[in-house]
Amino acid sequence: MRITTRAKAQHPKVDSSAKQATDIQEDVTERRSRRSFVFFGALAAATLIPRTSRAQAPSRRRRPTDKAPIDESLAIGPRESVAAFAEWDGSLSRLVRRATLGVTKAEMARASQLGWQGYVNYQLNYTRINDDASEAVVAQKYPLLSQTSDVLFGAAAGDIRNQLTESTIYRAAFSQRQLYQRMVEFWGDHFNQDLDKVGYLLIADQRDVIRKNALGKFPDLLKASAHSASMMAYLDQSASRNTAPNQNYAREIMELHTLGVDGGYTQTDVAELSRVLTGWTIQGRGNFIFNPAIHDWGSKTVLGVTIPAGSPSLGQDGIKEGEQMLDVLVNHPSTARFIATKMLRWLLTPDPTDTQISTIASVYRATGGDIKSMIRAILNDSWLPAAPMKLKRPFHYLASALRSAAPTVATLTAMNQQLTSLGHPIFSWDTPDGFPDKVEYWAGNIVPRWAFGTTLSNLNSATTLAVDTTAYRAGSPDAAIDLIDQNFFGGEMPTVTRTGLLTYIKAGTFNDTRVRETIALAISANAFQWY
Amino acid sequence: MDDQHDADCGCQEYNELSRRQFLATSAGVSAAAFFPAWLPKIVMSKNYASTRDIIVSVFQRGGADGLSLCVPFADANYYTSRSTIAIPRPDSTSANKGIDLDGFFMFPQAMAGGAAGTGGLIPAFRANDLLVVHATGQLNNSRSHFDAQRYMEVGKPVDPALVTGWLGRHLASIPPLKPDAPLRALGVAAGLQKTLVGAPKTLPIADPTNYSIGGSTTTQPQRVAFLQGDYAGADEPLHSTALDATNTVSLLKAVNFAGYVPANGAVYPNSSFGRALRSVAVLIKNDVGIEAAQVDLGGWDTHSAQDPNAGSMFRTMQDFSNSLAAFYADVIATGYSVTVVSVSEFGRNVRENGSQGTDHGRGTVMFAMGKGIVGGRVLTKNWPGLAHEVLADGQDLQVTVDYKDILAEIVQRRLGNPNLDIVFPTWKPTMLGVTR
Repeated sequence: MRITTRAKAQHPKVDSSAKQATDIQEDVTERRSRRSFVFFGALAAATLIPRTSRAQAPSRRRRPTDKAPIDESLAIGPRESVAAFAEWDGSLSRLVRRATLGVTKAEMARASQLGWQGYVNYQLNYTRINDDASEAVVAQKYPLLSQTSDVLFGAAAGDIRNQLTESTIYRAAFSQRQLYQRMVEFWGDHFNQDLDKVGYLLIADQRDVIRKNALGKFPDLLKASAHSASMMAYLDQSASRNTAPNQNYAREIMELHTLGVDGGYTQTDVAELSRVLTGWTIQGRGNFIFNPAIHDWGSKTVLGVTIPAGSPSLGQDGIKEGEQMLDVLVNHPSTARFIATKMLRWLLTPDPTDTQISTIASVYRATGGDIKSMIRAILNDSWLPAAPMKLKRPFHYLASALRSAAPTVATLTAMNQQLTSLGHPIFSWDTPDGFPDKVEYWAGNIVPRWAFGTTLSNLNSATTLAVDTTAYRAGSPDAAIDLIDQNFFGGEMPTVTRTGLLTYIKAGTFNDTRVRETIALAISANAFQWY
Repeated sequence: MDDQHDADCGCQEYNELSRRQFLATSAGVSAAAFFPAWLPKIVMSKNYASTRDIIVSVFQRGGADGLSLCVPFADANYYTSRSTIAIPRPDSTSANKGIDLDGFFMFPQAMAGGAAGTGGLIPAFRANDLLVVHATGQLNNSRSHFDAQRYMEVGKPVDPALVTGWLGRHLASIPPLKPDAPLRALGVAAGLQKTLVGAPKTLPIADPTNYSIGGSTTTQPQRVAFLQGDYAGADEPLHSTALDATNTVSLLKAVNFAGYVPANGAVYPNSSFGRALRSVAVLIKNDVGIEAAQVDLGGWDTHSAQDPNAGSMFRTMQDFSNSLAAFYADVIATGYSVTVVSVSEFGRNVRENGSQGTDHGRGTVMFAMGKGIVGGRVLTKNWPGLAHEVLADGQDLQVTVDYKDILAEIVQRRLGNPNLDIVFPTWKPTMLGVTR
């Protein structure tokens, strides 16, 4: 093909030979299993780390073996799978780290008392956990959360953002229902929306879709989301109409919410589903409605299911076409696998095995997508103690630091700002895939984490937030480090960190300043970044 | 340098170095600790260019509508397909009329600094330093933002085993421009963009003007020493990151961002994109050894109320154009050897939808800017046209130029890296003459 540069006033004719361009096909390699790559990354790293630094590294549990026939120069990259610290040798502590947003002395004691299954059940039966204390604070500090969209319409955008963000931080850090908060975070990303686009509508979505169903049944959650004014606005469903359907929501409900991108749908399915969903929209200040006047009543076929032509005389019954397709989606085998895989990645390992995925997908199918049953199957005492560590995302990191430092809280304004510095401004990820949960994405942003440790540990104001160091200063420097171990590391602080903190705290006068700096370093330490 | 052998890569003679040999010969012993341990044994060109451009790579995230960014106003089907969101012809009397580039394509006013058409990216275009490539993109037909972005950033579609980005592999397969530089590349973002994954001595830095661990300056060296010790045995990628970070904190502390005065009276917009390019300009001019920067601009997913004449896409294009224009005047026009290249994961449907927007499509535009770019033109490979019968899948501008052809030529001829088989595995690029 000839390369042309358009000269002035040259009006080219359409060249029929250009059609061939679409026939160009690129080499597409066969999909390889991720597992083999991950293992290879680990192998290569072990090979390349100079011997001296390997000797200094704490010993690690054995990594699972797998064969790794991959072209070295191309596949190499940071691995997602990192074996746990040798010091993390208590299996219950592994469970507490996964089921909460941060270990504390009290939470470790509770787990010891209840045992593995008892603790899992305790966290899953979250409505039986008394959470009055933190909910009272939320109700008092963040009154907009309980308002309807009609009222929220008149609220200032800054108040909406701050109350939603700060209440979410507060609950993550101080709610007793910790596993529930973990799943609220998970589903919030799964059904991600951007506050900049949807504004006050997101408050109702978070409350009536995500928090209401976070430990319920997935089909209920998906359907609640599909009837959320906020979701209709975010993915432009409210702008879709029979004369020109908008495909945004129809695509993402299959790609991101149910089937997954490889779940077996085509571009035609997207287009057809977008026709099915015409009429699903918003009225007034944020109420979901079905509007038959803009519904496409023609016949459609989605995922092999044919919906016969209807007529405007059916009125509100036109919504049944979409409801039928939601049932098809939640009952699709790809959805069971997709949700199982994502939950395994969230709760267990970045790299679940086929066996694990199949096991959890079968729980989904057997229980009608019961989220509690899936979690119970994932958090078992055989898989979890052998699982690799996961890197805390910044929101999790910040919440865990608050849980361990246990400050007196007047306002969380400073923590809200810190989420932005840390690169995790919740409710502000603008694309519908939600914040990533990958080491390779988050690992580089380490300096803001260190700066956060300094900021938090130095806060000592009754009108904002106060970290009390009295207990740390009550005994010797050694006792201070022991207390940091109990409060921040679940009593499993790695030796390298203990040695370093002891050196630091003893290198200056043992006073409030030194203690705060030492706490900052504990929060900044490698072992505090993982769970 | 031993281990020499000829590789079967055409005219190039290669010299394979182990990672350790490379460090010993080019970077000194101290740098060894800061090299990612997972870096592959890399194949080095024996004769890499001693002078080579710095690259600023821009990703327009969301699927940018190439038909609004650079409008084929002489293709009548553009106007019949876009009844409410078309940009008026340059020879019309409309207040929103576009700025003619070559009699066939035009920039909207948002790209040209307003109605007079003398600002924005027009000066760079008229100086032959800005190239627009049209009907370009990737041949894979994914319409998923996330798959399409991943394929584009990785530089090879549908290969889950390949997790590094094309720019990351470029940096990993060429020696540093400045051997002792603590930071070779940065992603101006909170998380490292896929494009740069795999690059040695590379960090995401959301705001280079404020990169510090805070606290007392007196105790800072002791605290940094704790962190270096605590992360010394950390697993990758935190191990390298932590050590690169402590060095970069010192590096950036010495750079005066606040007092920076751009050349030629350039004014960077006070947007996140404008501030990012300003920071990159400061780093380039301070000669800290930066070889690459990845900067992103979102807001291109224009499913509704697109309005490229005055509304949301107008503002996004204006931010894009004015920020790059400031960078052009400040850095490129003053003679720095820098190439800027911009891509987007796909274009949008030719026909507008019922919400005055456009849904996910295929072909779009890309931009390349620099003194080493053969610009001042809109490059197409037989403009495929917008008539319904020639559209891809009956709805989209065809992709007639693979974006990798443009990038590969820049990598080889402006960045001095002949290892295209590493940067774009399995792709056999066609050089289109976009570089000088």
